[in-house]
Amino acid sequence: MDELVLRVAVVMLALAVPTWIVLSLAVVLGRTSYERKMRRPPPSGVRGREAARLVRRASRSARTEWGKWRRVAALARLEEAHHPAVPRLIKSVLADPDPRIATAAIRTLGTIGDEWAVDLLVSALHEGSGPRSRIAAELERLAPDPGPKLVPLLRDWNPAVRFWGATLLRPYPELGESSLISLTWDSDPNVRAAAVETLATRNGPAVEAATLACLDDSVWFVRVHAARAAGHVVGAAAAPTLTRLLADERWWVRTAAKDALRGLGTEAVPSLLSVLTHSDSFARNGAAEVLQDVGFVDFLALDNPDSPLLERIFAAGGERLREAAETRVQGVEEREVQAA
Amino acid sequence: MTTEILAVLVLACLGYLLLTNLTYVALVMVAAVENTLRRYETASQGYDVLAASRFTIPVSVIVAAYDEETSVVAAVESLLGLEYPEHEVIVVNDGSKDATMSRLREAFALEPYEVFARRVFTTEEVRAIYRSADHPNLVVVDKANGGKADALNAGLNVARFRYVCGVDADTVFEREALLTGMRLVVADPARIIGVTSHLAIARDPGKVMAVPAGNRPIDRRPLIAYQHLDYLRAFFNNRLAWSKLGFMLCSVGAFQIWRRDVLEEVGGYSRAFTCEDIELTFRVHERFLREGRDYEIHCLPDTVGTTEGPDTVRKLVSQRERWQRVIAETVWHYRFMWFNPRYRSVGLVGAPFYLLTEVLAPAFELVAILSLPLAIALGLFSLEVFLLMCAAIAFANAALTACAILLDDLQSRIYRRSDLAWLLLLAPLDFVLYRPFIVWARLKGSWRFLRRDREWYKFERNARAPA
Repeated sequence: MDELVLRVAVVMLALAVPTWIVLSLAVVLGRTSYERKMRRPPPSGVRGREAARLVRRASRSARTEWGKWRRVAALARLEEAHHPAVPRLIKSVLADPDPRIATAAIRTLGTIGDEWAVDLLVSALHEGSGPRSRIAAELERLAPDPGPKLVPLLRDWNPAVRFWGATLLRPYPELGESSLISLTWDSDPNVRAAAVETLATRNGPAVEAATLACLDDSVWFVRVHAARAAGHVVGAAAAPTLTRLLADERWWVRTAAKDALRGLGTEAVPSLLSVLTHSDSFARNGAAEVLQDVGFVDFLALDNPDSPLLERIFAAGGERLREAAETRVQGVEEREVQAA
Repeated sequence: MTTEILAVLVLACLGYLLLTNLTYVALVMVAAVENTLRRYETASQGYDVLAASRFTIPVSVIVAAYDEETSVVAAVESLLGLEYPEHEVIVVNDGSKDATMSRLREAFALEPYEVFARRVFTTEEVRAIYRSADHPNLVVVDKANGGKADALNAGLNVARFRYVCGVDADTVFEREALLTGMRLVVADPARIIGVTSHLAIARDPGKVMAVPAGNRPIDRRPLIAYQHLDYLRAFFNNRLAWSKLGFMLCSVGAFQIWRRDVLEEVGGYSRAFTCEDIELTFRVHERFLREGRDYEIHCLPDTVGTTEGPDTVRKLVSQRERWQRVIAETVWHYRFMWFNPRYRSVGLVGAPFYLLTEVLAPAFELVAILSLPLAIALGLFSLEVFLLMCAAIAFANAALTACAILLDDLQSRIYRRSDLAWLLLLAPLDFVLYRPFIVWARLKGSWRFLRRDREWYKFERNARAPA
């Protein structure tokens, strides 16, 4: 037994002590070298043999994950040095089936930002090379250059492409309005939702009609986006329709309607008051909550605490709405006394 | 006869020691590969683009706070200051008996508002919901005490976004913590349902986090420094490897990002266990693997924040015995997953790994403590050999610790070189200065597990100078 334990202990020590020493030195020396490197100015370019090595590494398709990332790192280094081979190399990295590798290429294209880079990004969005949300983030960062190149995406056969086309047109109010309006009747609900969301940044009778029509869409998340858009597009005139959505069967539609009504501020008050006696308790609660959030409850509680209207709101919103209002009003009064 | 039994026991302990150390070495190798790949990945990410993009998925951050008067304001301030396109912070005051609620009210100008939220999960009574006049994205839920799981469920009821991030009220976060965690999700939201990341330890996280990365100090007090090393080993040597191998079994409570529909599907956080985080991770794995669904849960090597570590042995033992209990409760509850091929790497490797290295560890440790002195006394082996074996264990542990320090520094370069050197020197002494307390805590936790004790025994927060 003594012999066995001794052997195990010696073997363990023989392995562990040198490992601990080597790793400790690696930590301290590695850190020292890193700090020195950080103090030096970054290299401005790549030349001769180094450039050839990096180009070779970036051109070679790698099988291992390790190799793929080394390829990405080589590409990034060449891009930093504005090497002329980058446009050619980046296409092959973008085509990598691993979304993380393609994402690295997308990021590099966004950093370059030249017209050829925008074209490649739009084409990647079309082909689905890499995560489309990441491509979209880069394209949006490069606004306004990509704008005209996005309009053809609205007519693509692929609903995912139409969706991103519609989404990305948000910062371009002058582009693609009629196509966006027609996409509010698209067969794909995601496309309809994206179209109505983008229409929120535009106005005019046709946009208003399309937005209001989407409030009755059969798919709940289209109604959500339409509710949010209606406040912006139609303004206070949308309030009666939005209050109707407070009784929607879907929680998220009701929440979106509340958000939109809050956005309208006190202009929504007349419509909200008409819902206080609604047969649906969610609608009554929602109306009382929005009246509280736009400051109407506090205004009444300070100005006319015995108002029957305030009682109606409290009846719709419940006892906790009353308690919260009373606490807030008490705070205001205390602050006024202190200020006086 | 006694000598033979002793010999068997000593051999069993030796076998266990070798098996666990070999397992750790194998995991470290996998972790080193994962760390390098994540480093490449981080370097290729543009956080600036994610931070500015409206396509970055919004997140509801939920903080459960119970008697956190000393730390809650700093934690909430760090969460409100997170660099992220759209996030809300939901603080749930879980019936605190101290001044947590009044501190929040004063610091953030809170006012009560009635909010008609969904009641997806049944929780203890919500007394009031507050909004901040200064921070539109802050919501504070004041509710009756029901435990951390109940508080997180109350926060989920109020949460508006598709992803939620559960955090602790004693943790101060890096500004880009949420971007770091969400960068994987944004690339593949359909498959990535859960993410966690490394957290550091300090006696006073707010003070440490005020120092910029690269020059940040490590608390040199041995008790805190050893906890820091413990976390490094747990995250870098184990969880990174688990993540790579597909059995990331503990999304830590201090920073856990989940897709909300997944939490709703599995029934939210469970109140039936001592702690909520590890059990939830097991439950999500179990559900998705049973149904044959494609999913991923990851642990990242990035340090997203610093959490408070107990500064006395009594508090440390109280915390660690609770951790031991919840591990035992969870592993036992999901015993049908052990070695079950239906649950792939989780059943074949992950759950058995937990069983071997965590649940059974106190039993072997107890056997070793009782049998080794007896074996020496009976002349089974000499005191010199025993001491040599102790040195071997200490240096094996130190080598694994040095590996974790190296992986962390390669990834984040946060701490001062002199502090890293201090940690490296402390590593071999872990076996004598720190491990005995952990062994005691694990024995206590296992005993309480056997007695079906489910109390929280929250450790008292460290005393700090007033802000």
